[in-house]
Amino acid sequence: MAKQGLSRIELLQGTLDLIVLQTLRWGPRHGYGIAQMIRASSRDVLQVDTGSLYPALHRLEKSGAIAAEWETSENRQRVRVYRLTAAGRKQLDAERSRWEQLSQAMAGIFAPPAAETET
Amino acid sequence: MIAPWRRRHRDLELDEELAGHMRMAIEERVARGERREDAQRAARREFGNLGVVKEVTRDMWGGGWFERLLQDVRYGARTLRRSPAFTIVALSTLALGIGATTAMFTVVHGVLLRPLPYPRSDRLMRIAYDYPKSPFITEGGISDRQWVDTRSRYRTFTRVAAFTPGFVTLANAGDPVRLQEASVAAGLFETLGIAPALGRTFGRDDELVSGEPVVVLGDALWRERFGADANVVGRTITLDGVRHTVLGVMPQGFAYPLDARLWRPLRLELAPNRFQILSVIGRLRDGATRAQALAELDGLAAADRARDSVIARVTPLKDTVVGDVTRSLLVFAGAVGLVLLIACANVANLLLMRATTRRREMAVRAALGAGRPRLVRQLVTESALLWVGAGVAGAAIAVAGVRALLTLAPDGRIPRHGEIGVDAVALGFALTVSLGTGLIFGLIPALRATGSGVRDALAASARTMTGRDGRLRGALVMAEIALALVLLTGAALMMESFIRLRRVELGFRPAGLASLTVDLPDATYPSAAAMQAAHQAVLDRLGRIRGVASASAVNFVPLGGPMIRGDIKVDGRTLPPSYLVAKPSVSPGYFRTMAIRLRLGREFTAQDVASAPHVAIVSESVARQIWPDVNPIGQRISNKDVPGPGDWLTVVGVVDDVGQTSIDVHREPAIYQPIQQLTQAFFLGHMSFVVRGVGDPALLLPAMRRALRDVDPNQPIGSIGTMESAISATVAEPLFQARLIGAFSIVALVLAAIGIYGVVAYSVAERTREIGIRVALGAGRGAVVGMVLRRLLVLLVPGVVLGVVGALATTRVLSSLLFDIRPNDPATFVSVAVLLAAVAIVAGMMPARRASRVDPLVALREG
Repeated sequence: MAKQGLSRIELLQGTLDLIVLQTLRWGPRHGYGIAQMIRASSRDVLQVDTGSLYPALHRLEKSGAIAAEWETSENRQRVRVYRLTAAGRKQLDAERSRWEQLSQAMAGIFAPPAAETET
Repeated sequence: MIAPWRRRHRDLELDEELAGHMRMAIEERVARGERREDAQRAARREFGNLGVVKEVTRDMWGGGWFERLLQDVRYGARTLRRSPAFTIVALSTLALGIGATTAMFTVVHGVLLRPLPYPRSDRLMRIAYDYPKSPFITEGGISDRQWVDTRSRYRTFTRVAAFTPGFVTLANAGDPVRLQEASVAAGLFETLGIAPALGRTFGRDDELVSGEPVVVLGDALWRERFGADANVVGRTITLDGVRHTVLGVMPQGFAYPLDARLWRPLRLELAPNRFQILSVIGRLRDGATRAQALAELDGLAAADRARDSVIARVTPLKDTVVGDVTRSLLVFAGAVGLVLLIACANVANLLLMRATTRRREMAVRAALGAGRPRLVRQLVTESALLWVGAGVAGAAIAVAGVRALLTLAPDGRIPRHGEIGVDAVALGFALTVSLGTGLIFGLIPALRATGSGVRDALAASARTMTGRDGRLRGALVMAEIALALVLLTGAALMMESFIRLRRVELGFRPAGLASLTVDLPDATYPSAAAMQAAHQAVLDRLGRIRGVASASAVNFVPLGGPMIRGDIKVDGRTLPPSYLVAKPSVSPGYFRTMAIRLRLGREFTAQDVASAPHVAIVSESVARQIWPDVNPIGQRISNKDVPGPGDWLTVVGVVDDVGQTSIDVHREPAIYQPIQQLTQAFFLGHMSFVVRGVGDPALLLPAMRRALRDVDPNQPIGSIGTMESAISATVAEPLFQARLIGAFSIVALVLAAIGIYGVVAYSVAERTREIGIRVALGAGRGAVVGMVLRRLLVLLVPGVVLGVVGALATTRVLSSLLFDIRPNDPATFVSVAVLLAAVAIVAGMMPARRASRVDPLVALREG
C-alpha cells in the first residue's frame, strides 16, 4: 500500500513521460521491460501501474516521441518494442533540463534557511 | 485519430501486447522459483484491472468517441429491445408529448413568430386613431376626410394606403357567390411590396368616383372561377350587378386584408353627415422609428383640429394581423409544454426504476473495467436513443396534429393558416426538444444508477437499493401531480365558462328556427320599394313551404354578425349621449316567429305600411331606462338628431331583450321598426329571413333555397342554416379552446396516474418482504393498505398544495378567455383537487390491494 501511494506521484503525466523517455534512451524495450527497468533503477521506489504506463506509451507514440514495432522474442512470441525517435530525444533533453531546474528549485525551497532553524 | 475500421486491428494488437506483458511477468516469477499458480495470481494482482488498462490506453488513440457512440447506440438499442413493455410505454409517452408540443409550436411559429410574407415586413405598421369620445366608433382607424387631407403629408412613412373590407356578390361566373373583398387606395399593394402576377393594380386615376369600375382578382378566385385564364385581364365580370373590368391578378398566397378574394379601388364620396372609418397601413421610412411615427400622427391630428380627443396608435402590422389569437395560442403552448414536462417526468421515473433493477448489471460492468463516465455515457445514450426515437415519431404526430388543429379550429379563427406547416424549423424544434429533454431527464437516472456504491451492489440484493432514488422518484411524481393539477384547473375553468356561456338566456327560442340571409345589390334593386317587393315575394314563398309555422324577416338577425346601433331622441326627455341601442327592422310576425315575448302593447301588423303612422317597438330595458315611471305605449321617439314633425315613431309595444350580437354580451337594448316603413335602401339590402318549422328546421333549408332562387336566380345566399347551428358557431371558439385544453389535461391526468401507480407499485414490490413480516405478525389487510396509502399521501398532499399554488399563479392568464367565472373560482379549484386526489388514490389503491394480499410465507421465502 505504501508503495502504491508512492507510485501515485508518478501519475503526474509529464513526469511519467520523462521517465519513459529516459528509460528508452538506453535502447528499445517492450512495455514490461520498461516497467521493470523503472522499478530497478528507482530501487523499487517507483512501481508504474500498467494502467498508467500503457496509456503513456501509446500517447507518446501518437505524439511521435517514440515509435513501436513488433519483434519476435527468443521464445517466438511477438512483443511490441518501443524506441526513442529523434523528436523524442529532443523532447527528452528539453524536459530533462526543465526537470533539473525544477528539482533545484524544490531543493532550495526544502533546504531550511539557517537563521530560522535556530529560533 | 484512428479510422474506425483500423481500430479492430489496434484492439487485437493491444490485447496481444498486454498479454505479452502478463506472460513475461509470470515467466519471471516462475524463473525466480515461484509456483506457477502463485505466479499467475501475483502477476494478475500486480497488473491490475485488465479491462480498465485497455480502456484508458485506447482513450489515448483519440477518435474513439465515434466508435464508442456506435457501440453505445448498438448496446442501447439491444437493451431497449430486450424490455419491449418499458420501451413501448416510454416511447409512446414521449412521442405524444413531443408531437403535441411540436404541433403547437408549428402553429405558434406560423402565426406569431414567422414574419409576414411581405418584403421587410417588420417596417409595415398599422396607423390609426382611437376616438374614445365617440360612441359610434368602436374600432380605431382614420376617417375618410382625414385620410384625404393627410395622405400625402406623412414624412415618417415612405408609403401609406387606406382600405376598407367588405363583401361583394360575383355573378355570371359559375353559381352566384358572395366574396370577401377590400376597397383599397392606390398604393396598397406597393406599400406591402407585392406586385401583381398578371396585369396591373390601381393607380390614383382609379380612385375617381366617376371612373370605370375595375377589379383586381386574387389567385385562388382566378383559378376557381376563371380557370386560371391568362387572358382574363381586360375581361369584364359582374359584381353586385355591375360590370367591372379586370385589371390584374395578384400572386398566389396574397389575400390581404383578412382573406380578401378580390380588390376594388377605394372611391370616396365625402358627404356631410356621413363619414367612414378607414384602415390605414404604412411602410416606415428607413431610420424612422415607431415613436417618431406616433409623434407625427399626433401632430397631423392637432394641425387638422380633426378631433379634440383622439389617441394616435402605430402598431406593427403583424400584431394586427395576428390579433387576439395570441393569448389563446400562448395558453395552449403553455398547456402543451406542461404535458411534455409530465411525460418527461414519467419516463425519467421509469428510467430510475429500471436503473435500480439494473444496478447489478452496472456493477458487473464496472467490475469488468467500465469507468463511471463510460457507464453514464452508455445510459445517457440509451435514453437519448429513446428520446430521439420519440422525436421522430413525434414529428409524424405533429404533422397529423397540425392538420387536425387547423381542421378543428373554428373557421377563420387562425390567422395566416395558409402559412402554417411542419417545416425545417418545426422539425429542428422537435429534435432540439427531444435531445434536450432526453439529456436532462436521462442524465439524472444515469448518474443515480452509476453513483457511489455501485460496487456494493454486487453484494447487496437489488431489491433493497432504494433510499435516494425513492425520494427522487417521489419528487418527480409530486411534480407531475402539481403540473397536472394546474392544467386540469385551467381546463375546468374553460369548461365551466363554456357551460355558463351556453346557459345564457337568449330572449328567444332558437330551437325550430332556420334563417337565410341575402344581400340585394343596389344595381339590381335601385330603390327601397324594389327591395321590399323582393323581400315580400320571398316571404310569401317561405310561408307556403310545408312544415313552416311562420316566416318573417329582419335586417339584422340576432347573433348573425353585423348589427346597426345608434342613438335615439325621446320626446320630452334627454338621454345620456352615450346611450346606444340596436336598431333592427322586422316584418310583421317576427316576434311570434322568434318566440320573443311581447310584454306590452301589440306586434307590428300588415297595416303598418309606409303611408300609415310610423311606429316602433322597444325592448324591455329601453322602456325601463327611458320611461321608468310611465307607460311607454304611445310615447314618441326618433332616429333623427333634430326630428321634424314627420320623423317621430310612436311606441306600440314592448318586447323582451335579446342577445343581439353575441351571446356573452347578454341582452341588449333595442328598438324595432317595421321594414315596410323604411325608406332608405341602405337599411334593406342586408336581410335575413327567419322561419319557424314544426319539425326539424334543417329539413326546411332546401325549400328555403328554392324560394330565393324562384325570386332571383342570380342572387347568392349569404348564409343559411338553423339558428342552433348559428349559435354553435358563435361559441365554436370557446368550445374549441375548452376541448383542446381539456384534451391536454386528460392526457396529463392519465400520465400522472400512471406515474403514481408506478411509484406505489414499485414501493410495494420492494417492501414485499417487510409486508410479509407484518402480515405474519398479525397486521390486518386494512393496516397494510393504510401503510401503502400513507406512502401515496406523502406525495399527494404536497403535490396538490403545489398544484393549487401554481394554478392560482397561472390561471390569471386565462381571464380574458373566461366568461362569467373568475380565474380563481374556489368551487372549481376544490372540485379539481378532489378529482385529482380521487384519481391518485384509485391509481394507488391497485398496488395497495395487491400488497394486502401478500402471502407471508411466499414473501419471506422469496426475500
